[in-house]
Amino acid sequence: MRLTLQMLISHGRVARKMGLGPESRLNMLRNILTGLVKHERIETTLGRADEVRFYAEKLIDYAKKGDTDTKAMKMANFWLTEKDLIPKLFKVLAPRFEAQPKGYTRMARIPNRENLDKAAMAVLEYKGNPFPPLQPAKRENELTLINQLLKGYREEQAQQAKTQKD
Amino acid sequence: YACLVSCLFLFAFWFASSPAVVRPSSGGVHGQRSAVFSREQARQRALYPRTEKIEVVLHGPGLHGTLLIMNKGVSTPHSCARHLTEWHVKSSALALVDGEPWPLHKPLIQSCSLSLLSFKDKDPSLVNQAYWRSCAALLGQVLEDAFKDEYSVELLGIPELPVTSGAFCCDFVLDPQLDSWNPSEESMCSLIRGAQQLIHQDLPWESLEVTPSVALEVFSHSRCKQEEVEEKAAKSNNGTVVLYRCGDHVLLSGGPLVARTGLCSQYEVTAIHRLGEGAWGLHRRAQGLSLPFQLEAHHTVWRKLRSRATKLVSEDFYWLHFKFLKGQCVESCIQILTPLFSCLSSPTKKRLGYY
Repeated sequence: MRLTLQMLISHGRVARKMGLGPESRLNMLRNILTGLVKHERIETTLGRADEVRFYAEKLIDYAKKGDTDTKAMKMANFWLTEKDLIPKLFKVLAPRFEAQPKGYTRMARIPNRENLDKAAMAVLEYKGNPFPPLQPAKRENELTLINQLLKGYREEQAQQAKTQKD
Repeated sequence: YACLVSCLFLFAFWFASSPAVVRPSSGGVHGQRSAVFSREQARQRALYPRTEKIEVVLHGPGLHGTLLIMNKGVSTPHSCARHLTEWHVKSSALALVDGEPWPLHKPLIQSCSLSLLSFKDKDPSLVNQAYWRSCAALLGQVLEDAFKDEYSVELLGIPELPVTSGAFCCDFVLDPQLDSWNPSEESMCSLIRGAQQLIHQDLPWESLEVTPSVALEVFSHSRCKQEEVEEKAAKSNNGTVVLYRCGDHVLLSGGPLVARTGLCSQYEVTAIHRLGEGAWGLHRRAQGLSLPFQLEAHHTVWRKLRSRATKLVSEDFYWLHFKFLKGQCVESCIQILTPLFSCLSSPTKKRLGYY
C-alpha cells in the first residue's frame, strides 16, 4: 500500500516490517540500494522496491551536495556496502540528475514470481539508464489515413484563420 | 429505397430527344467489356499449362524470411496470405513484391520477396494512395450505374490527389440532355446507397496487364477511354496497360488498387461540382470521402471531414507532393490542368492554396 502522510495521520502505525526487525530491515534496504546503484535497474518484490525508492531518491539528494560535504559522504558510506560505488554515485548519478528536483527513479510492476510464494515483483530503475525503456512511449502513427485527413483538415482551418485575420 | 424511386421520378421529367445514340445500353457495354476481360484473363492463365513452382519469401512483422512454395502464374499474394492467418487475409490491402506495389489478386510469375501491406503499418502511404484511387474508382462505377440507360455517362479519369486534400474525386461527363441537371439530396443519397451496396457485396478488384490493342478493344465504345489507353501505353515502361475489373465494370487506373470493396466501411459521396465546358462536354467532378474498416471515425470527426470534402478539390496546389508518381505527375497535371484552368477562380486558390 502507498505509505502516505495521510495514512499515517488517519491510521497511525503504517510502517512496513521487513526481515527480522528494524536493523534487519535497514540492512536489507542497504543491500538493495547498493544493487540499484551498481546496476541502475533491479528486480525485487513490490514492497521492497517501494521501500527502497524513498531511500534511493534521498541518497541522490545527498549526493547532489557534492563529495566534499561530510554529511553526504557519511550517508553514502553508510548506505553503499560496496565502497567503489561511492565515486560512481557522486561522479555519475548526481550530475545526471542535476536539472531534476525530484523523481529520479521509476518503478514498474512485472508478472508475479514463478516460485511457490507467487510474490508480486517490480522493477526499480534510475532514470537515464543505458538500457532499453521499460514501457516504450506509444505514439499514434501520423501516417495512417485518418490522421492524414485530420492533418489536412487542421492545416486548412489554420489557413482559413490566417486569411480571416488578414 | 424511397430516395431511389424519387430519383427516378425526377429523371422521368426530362424529355428524351430523338435518340441519335447508336451505342448499346450501358448494361450491354459493361457485359461486353467484362467478356473481353475474362477472355484475356483466361488466355493469360493458359500460358502456364503445367504447374511450376516458385519460391516466395515473406517479409513482415513476425514473418521474416518465411518461405512459401507457390504456383507460378496462379498464386496471388492473396493466396499467400491465406497460408498465414485470417487476420492477414482480412487486413492486407496491397502487396509489395520485390519493392514494387502489386495488387493483391494479381498472379505471381517468378520467385520473389513479398510483404503484405495493411492500413496500420508504420508507413501506410502507398496503401493510403491505393485506397484513395480505389474509392474514386468505386465512385466512377456507382456513377456509371446510377443513370438510366438512355443517358450516357463518360468517366474521364481519376485525378491523382494526395490524401491530405480531404476528398477523392472522379471526373465525368453526362449526356448533353442532363446539362442543366443538378444533384439533389435524394440523388446523393441514392449514390451513397449504390456505393454501400457494392461495398457490402465485397467484390475483389482483379487486375490484368494487357497490350494496348486488347485495351482498345475493351473500350471500343468510348473514344475518351481509348485516348486514355493510348496515353497510359505511351507513359508505361513496357507499353502495356493495366486494366482493373470490379464486378461487371472494367476500368483504368493510375496505379494499383486495393484488394476488395469490402475494405471500405464509411463511404459517402459528398459533392458533384461543375468544372465548366471541356473537350467532351460539361465536365463534372464528383467527390467523396471514405475510411477503411480498421480506421473508422467517430461521427463528430466524420462530420467535420465530410464538410471539408464538400468543397471543390483541385490538383494544382498538390502537385508538389506527388513523390510517388516519380516524374509522371508534371505531365499528367499539365494535361489535366489545361482544360480546367479557366474554371478555377481566385477564391478557391485563397481557400486551398497552402502548399
